[in-house]
Amino acid sequence: MHLVQLDLSQLSCTSTIYVSDSHNPWFNLAFEDWIFRKTDPRAVVLYMYRNDPSVIIGRNQNPWKEINLHQLNDLGIPFVRRKSGGGTVYHDLGNTNYCVFVPREQFERRINAELVARALNEVKIPANVNERNDICVEGFKVSGSAFKLVNARAYHHGTMLIDAKLGDLRGVLGTTKHTLITKGVPSVSSPVRNLVQWNSDFGHEKFVGAVSEEFKKTYGEFEEVQVTRVNESELERNEYVKGVSDELQSWDWQWGSTPEFTHDIEGSFPFGDISLHITSRHALITSASLTRPPRNPAWYRSAEHFVSLLEGDRYGTLEGVEKALEGMEGIKTERLRTLVEWLKKEM
Amino acid sequence: MFALRSAAPLARTFARSAPRFVAPSSILSRSIVTKRYSQDHEWLSFDSDTGVGSIGITDYAQRQLGDVVFIELPGQGTEIATGDSIGTIESVKAVSEIYAPVSGRVEEINGELESSPETLNSDPENEGWLAKIKLSNPGEFEQLLSEEAYKAYCAGADQ
Repeated sequence: MHLVQLDLSQLSCTSTIYVSDSHNPWFNLAFEDWIFRKTDPRAVVLYMYRNDPSVIIGRNQNPWKEINLHQLNDLGIPFVRRKSGGGTVYHDLGNTNYCVFVPREQFERRINAELVARALNEVKIPANVNERNDICVEGFKVSGSAFKLVNARAYHHGTMLIDAKLGDLRGVLGTTKHTLITKGVPSVSSPVRNLVQWNSDFGHEKFVGAVSEEFKKTYGEFEEVQVTRVNESELERNEYVKGVSDELQSWDWQWGSTPEFTHDIEGSFPFGDISLHITSRHALITSASLTRPPRNPAWYRSAEHFVSLLEGDRYGTLEGVEKALEGMEGIKTERLRTLVEWLKKEM
Repeated sequence: MFALRSAAPLARTFARSAPRFVAPSSILSRSIVTKRYSQDHEWLSFDSDTGVGSIGITDYAQRQLGDVVFIELPGQGTEIATGDSIGTIESVKAVSEIYAPVSGRVEEINGELESSPETLNSDPENEGWLAKIKLSNPGEFEQLLSEEAYKAYCAGADQ
């Protein structure tokens, strides 16, 4: 049995700061996971990074509910499922992420949010931590937080809106599918602002510097804190980071970790109206039924055939059905293709 | 074992009595149910007669997590090995993983938690049980911490 040491001098001698120069969200999140799982759990570590434009969802969220994926796709922006809890956030280079790792016994949502707020106060930004443990300036949220706990360790990571293009994602985030009923965790939206509204000179490196200074004051009492810059070349040296980066991009993680949901979908066609009820687990269709079949008898039969093909297929892409129709011709196949194209757009 | 597969009201009765140590000398008892703990802040209440153990998270874990909003459990029949991540618990913005404290097969999951995850906060060590595992190696149970050892572990961690 091991007891976790909480002697501050013990902690401080292992305080470290990592700053990533990569803007690859999968690498940055994988490196975060490596620090969390593979380095000394007694150490207090600060890690900061920025990502290229991407939408980052919480561990237990439903991307089809949280994001308009068709629009996101048109913008060429990826979505990434992170390992921590909480809601959906937009990242770009105007947003800097900070992550503080502590021994689990020290885990307290507020402590490190206050550390970051103090850092902002040092550069004359009047930040405070509200009752939801969000960092706010004059009532506007400037930073979202999420947490992860394992047996001996916990981390608090957060976004800091410095000069993010908040308008670019208008209409992309937020619930659009009202008939998609999902388990899991919904996002809570808040009015947000960028820090440059209060300090027009502020930027990424200044934020990194201010938070590093505050981190050293808080945890580096006994020894000098090392600052290490990292980049994507870690992927070649560190198998664990490479593995997690691949895992984060895998279908099983990105889509397959979606909580169970149901979706009622209606369509109007020249041949009549149609309604489907779909249930899904792990992003696979577990059942599909016609709640309102088309009146036209030929389309009725095609619709029945269509729903029978859906079970077991991937929700969203329907690649199994598409594959089954490959190379097939004829009026019946054309009807099925029409239904596939319609359903993919509705998903 | 009388309650493992019975209807919900009986199962609740059983769940409430589960953590009690049933003395081997008791004339009425047909089996011995003992409870042990893991360093991941989970408990396992093992019935030596059926070889099935219920798992859950401890009160310590529950307090640290805060209000639980979502629980993801493994599917029934899943084969699990000690240390595997078999699910997640999400409290306000925080995810913690559920680790298999022993190896075996998932016999039953607590479906009630899906609609009322808050049970994990109100009664983590009884009604908030997560899953029932048929242990493939009952010897693994003995390797977990006794109640005293777990208390000492938490006390050490809280210093």
